[in-house]
Amino acid sequence: MSFSARRALAVLWKDSVDLRKNKGMLWSMAALPLVIVIMPIFVVATYVHRPDDPNLRLMAMYYDATVSPEHAVRFLVDKVLADWFTLYLVMPVFVPILISSHAVAGEKEKRTLEPLLASPVTPLELVVGKSLASLVPSFALCLLAFAALCIGVDVVAWPFAHELVLPNSLWLFGVFLISPLFAFFGNGVAVLISARVGDSRLAQQLSGLLVMPLVGLAAGQFGGFLRSGPEYYALIGAVVLVLDVAVVLAARRLFDRERLMTRWG
Amino acid sequence: MSAPSGILVEGLARRFGARTAVTGLSFEVKPGEVFGLLGPNGAGKTTTVRMLTGLLAPSEGRAVVCGVPLPLSNQDRGIALRQRVGLLTEQPGLYDRLSAKENLSFFARLYGLDLGVAWARAQKALERFGLAGREDEPVGAFSKGMRQKLAIVRTLLHEPLVIFLDEPTSGLDPQSARVVRDAIAELAKEGRTLVLCSHNLAEVERLCTRVAVIKNRLRTVSALTDLRREGTALDVHVEGDAGRFTLAVAALPFAPSVTHEGGKLTVAFREPAQAPEVIAALVQAGARIHTATRAARPLEEAYLELVREED
Repeated sequence: MSFSARRALAVLWKDSVDLRKNKGMLWSMAALPLVIVIMPIFVVATYVHRPDDPNLRLMAMYYDATVSPEHAVRFLVDKVLADWFTLYLVMPVFVPILISSHAVAGEKEKRTLEPLLASPVTPLELVVGKSLASLVPSFALCLLAFAALCIGVDVVAWPFAHELVLPNSLWLFGVFLISPLFAFFGNGVAVLISARVGDSRLAQQLSGLLVMPLVGLAAGQFGGFLRSGPEYYALIGAVVLVLDVAVVLAARRLFDRERLMTRWG
Repeated sequence: MSAPSGILVEGLARRFGARTAVTGLSFEVKPGEVFGLLGPNGAGKTTTVRMLTGLLAPSEGRAVVCGVPLPLSNQDRGIALRQRVGLLTEQPGLYDRLSAKENLSFFARLYGLDLGVAWARAQKALERFGLAGREDEPVGAFSKGMRQKLAIVRTLLHEPLVIFLDEPTSGLDPQSARVVRDAIAELAKEGRTLVLCSHNLAEVERLCTRVAVIKNRLRTVSALTDLRREGTALDVHVEGDAGRFTLAVAALPFAPSVTHEGGKLTVAFREPAQAPEVIAALVQAGARIHTATRAARPLEEAYLELVREED
């Protein structure tokens, strides 16, 4: 099977130019990271603002009865940041979904698929190009959001902690290892669903359901039923890795010119 | 089978589940020929073009397009076919947010063209189609006709040997349609093979030498002159308004089709031997005939007769 990086890069180029000119999409992409970054900064600021508040000690003891009163606020800061990583993972899943479902199903909606498939580009090159066009900006946005989160949290926590609270090993492991796996999964599912339904809004809605398990996990963590940490996230990462492999296998089966034409064309 | 820059089709068929879109297609398009593919909506024209451009695999039969045998045996052959073939789809299929230049540049990259060479080529075509100076504008702001012209430029960008054109003048004003028709004629002169799918029979008559009429199966492949059958129409000039005699002619047992304009009556029928009966009917109805000239029946007559068969 021949694969031309040049043609895949042409697809990446076209989708990137298109994304850059799609103001609505850019605003949608920016909205989620803003929430993901601002919320934990506010929570940490609240904790460190009144470190002697007895209610915070009670909260810390709810999660871990062995926490000493003088370490309660630091415990809560570390805990909220560890738990927040689950919600941060919504971003690498959701942003590629936003881009991919539009870029893939959009080809059908705009009737651009047939001329595209009549060119020498192969379905694999098409999927690789479109996936890169979705994954590269998504990962860049995640890194940008992570950098903003680190700066924001450290600025508000410094007077209390007198050291950098972020980045820590859990977040570094998560951002650079787990979140790409999630982004790959989100993109893959969005591409597959787009190929089936061929309608970008429906594809977005269906793919968007992927974030529900993450919200459920976060609820469990904040409720004290689940305890987050490196092992916890490593386990989630392993599960998503298996799902990534499944997505690739499904994509290989689904993406041939004939299927794309009969389902999309 | 061989067809260096032409098309050879043998027994091509395509089914979608239990539904047969098209079956029993056999025809040849010679290099440099402008060939018409005619048929009503849903007749299988688009499916045929998609099979011949490698977008759909045939369920039965085989073909050779530009020397590439179909069904495609591997992906490399598919790439080779697409490098040699150009397809203008019914919808222009352009990216609205991208400029005309970016749209063309994207396809130049997909075809592996040198961007400088491709752009120089594109500029000439844009100039010809009256789009020069608009290349940096987003295509979304273009009119339907401008989009169609840009899609034609895109189709020709890689200088394909065989070009499939689905309704190429759709949405164009008469002046632009003429530019497109001239371009088609010029491409044929250059030795390129063109397959024209169109409902515009006047356009087909002007451009094509031969046509295939399909309606889920091949109804005929014929030279236009044969299809129109010289001698199966009469142009009769009568004294006064010719409209007075249409009923008398239409009532003949072989039900000829009759049109009139001023003092001219055009009568189309099936067999050349029916001409005297037409004249006799006119005389009997009191027509004073100045001249009666044998002519070819309009393509529309031949086409409608073919697609009505077995309905």
